[in-house]
Amino acid sequence: MAQTRNEYWSEIRSVYKDPKDYVLAGRGNAYVRIDAEAKVTGTAVYTDDVYLPETWYCKLVHSPYAHALIKSIDFTEAEKVPGVKGFLTGADFPEGHNLGNPEAFKELADKEPLCRRKVRMVGDEVAAVCATTEEAAEEAARLVKVEYEPLPVLLDPFDAMALDAEPIHYPADQPGTANNLSIFTVMKAGDPDKAFEEAYYTDKSYYKTQEMVHAAIEPHGAIAKYENGEYTIWSTTQGAYVSRYWVAWGLGVPESQVRLIKPMVGGGFGGKLDVFAHELCPCKFAERTGHPVKCILKRDEVFKCTRTRHPISFQIESAFSKDGKLLAKRCRHILDGGAYGGSGIAANTLSLICATFPYKVENIDMIARRPYTNHPASGAMRGYSACQVHFAHEIHMDEVANHLGIDPLELRHKNEITPYYTGPTGLEFTSCRFKECMDACAEAIDWKNRWRYPKGSGQAIGMSGSGFMSGTGFPVLVTPHYCSSTTIVRLNREGYAVVYTGANDIGQGCDTVMAMIVAEELGLNMDEVKVVQSDTTTTPWDAGSFGSRVTFLGGNACHHAVGDAKLKLLKHWAEEWGCKPTDIKMADHRVFLPGDAEKNISYNEACYGYEEKNFGRCVAGVGAYNHEGDKDVYVKNVGNYATAYSFSASAAKVTVDMETGAVTLDDFIFGHDCGRPLNIRAVEGQIEGSVLLGFGFTCYEECVYDKDGRHLNPSFRDYRFPTALDMPNITTKVCSEYDEEGPLGAKEAGEGSTAPVGSAIGNAINYATGLVIKELPITPERLWKALREHERTGKTEFGGEDLPEKFANMPPLPKRYNV
Amino acid sequence: MAKRVISFKLNGVDRDELVLDNMTMVDFLRKQMHLTGTKRGCEEGECGACTILLDGKAVTSCTMLAVEADGHEIVTIEGVRKDGVLHPIQKEFIDKWALQCGFCTPGMIMSAISLLNENPNPTEHEIRDGIAGNLCRCTGYVKIVEAIASAAKIMAKEVAK
Ligand code: FES
Ligand code: FES
Repeated sequence: MAQTRNEYWSEIRSVYKDPKDYVLAGRGNAYVRIDAEAKVTGTAVYTDDVYLPETWYCKLVHSPYAHALIKSIDFTEAEKVPGVKGFLTGADFPEGHNLGNPEAFKELADKEPLCRRKVRMVGDEVAAVCATTEEAAEEAARLVKVEYEPLPVLLDPFDAMALDAEPIHYPADQPGTANNLSIFTVMKAGDPDKAFEEAYYTDKSYYKTQEMVHAAIEPHGAIAKYENGEYTIWSTTQGAYVSRYWVAWGLGVPESQVRLIKPMVGGGFGGKLDVFAHELCPCKFAERTGHPVKCILKRDEVFKCTRTRHPISFQIESAFSKDGKLLAKRCRHILDGGAYGGSGIAANTLSLICATFPYKVENIDMIARRPYTNHPASGAMRGYSACQVHFAHEIHMDEVANHLGIDPLELRHKNEITPYYTGPTGLEFTSCRFKECMDACAEAIDWKNRWRYPKGSGQAIGMSGSGFMSGTGFPVLVTPHYCSSTTIVRLNREGYAVVYTGANDIGQGCDTVMAMIVAEELGLNMDEVKVVQSDTTTTPWDAGSFGSRVTFLGGNACHHAVGDAKLKLLKHWAEEWGCKPTDIKMADHRVFLPGDAEKNISYNEACYGYEEKNFGRCVAGVGAYNHEGDKDVYVKNVGNYATAYSFSASAAKVTVDMETGAVTLDDFIFGHDCGRPLNIRAVEGQIEGSVLLGFGFTCYEECVYDKDGRHLNPSFRDYRFPTALDMPNITTKVCSEYDEEGPLGAKEAGEGSTAPVGSAIGNAINYATGLVIKELPITPERLWKALREHERTGKTEFGGEDLPEKFANMPPLPKRYNV
Repeated sequence: MAKRVISFKLNGVDRDELVLDNMTMVDFLRKQMHLTGTKRGCEEGECGACTILLDGKAVTSCTMLAVEADGHEIVTIEGVRKDGVLHPIQKEFIDKWALQCGFCTPGMIMSAISLLNENPNPTEHEIRDGIAGNLCRCTGYVKIVEAIASAAKIMAKEVAK
């Protein structure tokens, strides 16, 4: 396949614009978002804004128990509410059509559209109500009586792994053989045991991260209608095609009868990748009632019933030479998977992949386990596993540096990944400016004078580094379709072009990037490129917005599509003009042979001429892009994961109030290697947003549960994340080179940028306080307690105190991946 | 549930509307008036996505009943562009890329208008304070603060003219 791809591409590439002629992607990027005006005037249409006459409303009935059997469901009282039109239970959906992610094993599709016999988390959906108004639906949902038989609740992932634990999904074959693992991953390379034996320095440390949520300001929701035997759904999704697959499967109908439209989406961050009951139930009700039916979640439902970021417990052992060369790493990651698999499955393998870079390490012995618990299901979240992993591993890096007496920046430089390095498990790095990212941050924060803030003085700077895949080649939610992106571009003789892209803009601005790529290649203005947004009927296949794949895969697909169209057009004119297609240029709305005033026509004339010659056929191009990886990566755990990798570094300056434990983030520098930035303000925007997420992760956010698994802070009042007053100034340093494989030379700037934030802040807090905090979040209360305890007892390390014993007493890995 | 007629000004137009006594302002605007620019992010007064102007001051419309508008003036995001011309704050939000998903944007702009109504020349801290009740999960606020500061300057120049 590579061969055909290369031949086809090299012909297309021959008519691409020379990067030095870029107008939009070069010279200051003076173009604006194509959706900006709609968004500042309130006319942008999000799911809840889709208005269809005679719409009825759906509300879901949630379990108050974290683990229980459903004994009975009684609608008698609910039925009496005026305006109620119908009810659904699990029995209304075909049995066995579970939702999830059977990437490696079919059992991983583990979520029923509505629970039939058992609930596994507080908030699990057991029934749905339809009524003429939202208020009536809410009232009726409250009146549905469900009788439960409670089961033992498992909230600690280590308890859940015990062989005599209550099974959450799979009944044990025999007593004492329970297996609550949803997946486990083993990754080995080199000879780690030997390396550990021979090393000058070895250690073993423990770290722990918490459960947080995506908290997109737009709540999840959907509106569905049923006409001519077809379901049409507008949904807050990050991947229209993948959602469509699961909706059709859950309903038990062919994909051809489901149309999924992604309108504007108010942020996703990974939380809108999975498919949910609030998408399936309106479809069913629409079919039964003939009315459009809408279901928008309330904020507390978003907190309790959608997805979270995996809390991870880490045991990290490292081996270094005397002069600071990283020789080997042994690590054990325990990911609290919560009640279901879904988009959370890939987090397990990813947590190990992330631990193998951005530093060279040849000898590794890594195992990650993802047990089910009765917490809400953990899923994908921006910086997918990388945030947690780079928090633990980068705090660890500074600890090692301090033990070895080597400057932490120096230690990182000694081990940094360099261009075209191949990792021990087969990651093939290409362009890499990791060193430059670190140096830019160090210079901007004045690292070399860092001891102007003495240790324990309440002020300090901290640094960290990370890497991320630029465009994952692997699906997060597997469907029979592969993880590619496809785009169609049509050139119109009336002076514009239309791009039909499946790429899912959820706020990051990819629709604008697609328009820009097309405008750039065709020499059109931005407003002469019309974008048709992801809609399974009108736009071609795309696997979704995740794994930092949109710009890279979608952008490349779009570049190839416009290249394909351009090649056809230029071939035609080359024949007319007796020259080569590569001699012809397109710029400023004209198609011309440079230096020949006769051969200079408008874009409109060029398209018209082509059509005239081709019996009215319009100029159209199709482009696709995928990463030629191995689909079995989740089973084999070796191989290359992406076509390119981004790198980043962070530097944070903090002030800690040593009396109260309050942390102020004074300054933040972010160095990012994102290839050629396609729009500098878009890149900065992604980075600034990443710093907010990273600061929230480090110092603010945590979902808190009682012993029965009830979420105690499901509101923005009690689950705080940084406001405008809490955020510092942020300086972005783009340290990039053109990436050979990227669209117009770009790599990713969406997820990798979240990865080093937490550890830079964490390292700074550690220097400021003279302590080592190993558990997140570092709230004022926790820090205050640690500071006081340090005064009393001299203890310096805090967090994860329960982990050594828990890791030591883990049961052996099961023989097979799943029961 | 009882209904009554309220008289108020909405985006510059005098209106009499029959409303349910217990309907929140945000639901009234969205469901009855089909003005969907005002967003529902939390419906408990915490995120600011539903911010509107009540007599020129920013309020969260999810914590207000529609009947409370009786005798008052309401402006929503749909009423900010005048005669087809964007407000300087809207223009600066576009030019500075002060939005991503845009879901917080209408509320953010209403808070910014209210802030600049009261304090035409705010410091950076005052801007941050003015939008502290508007949560944004995408932008880190950097470009929003920049856009409001720049709009304030432009508006001051316009007034000077
Ligand atoms: S919706 Fe009103 S403050 Fe959140
Ligand atoms: S732009 Fe998405 S919440 Fe502010």
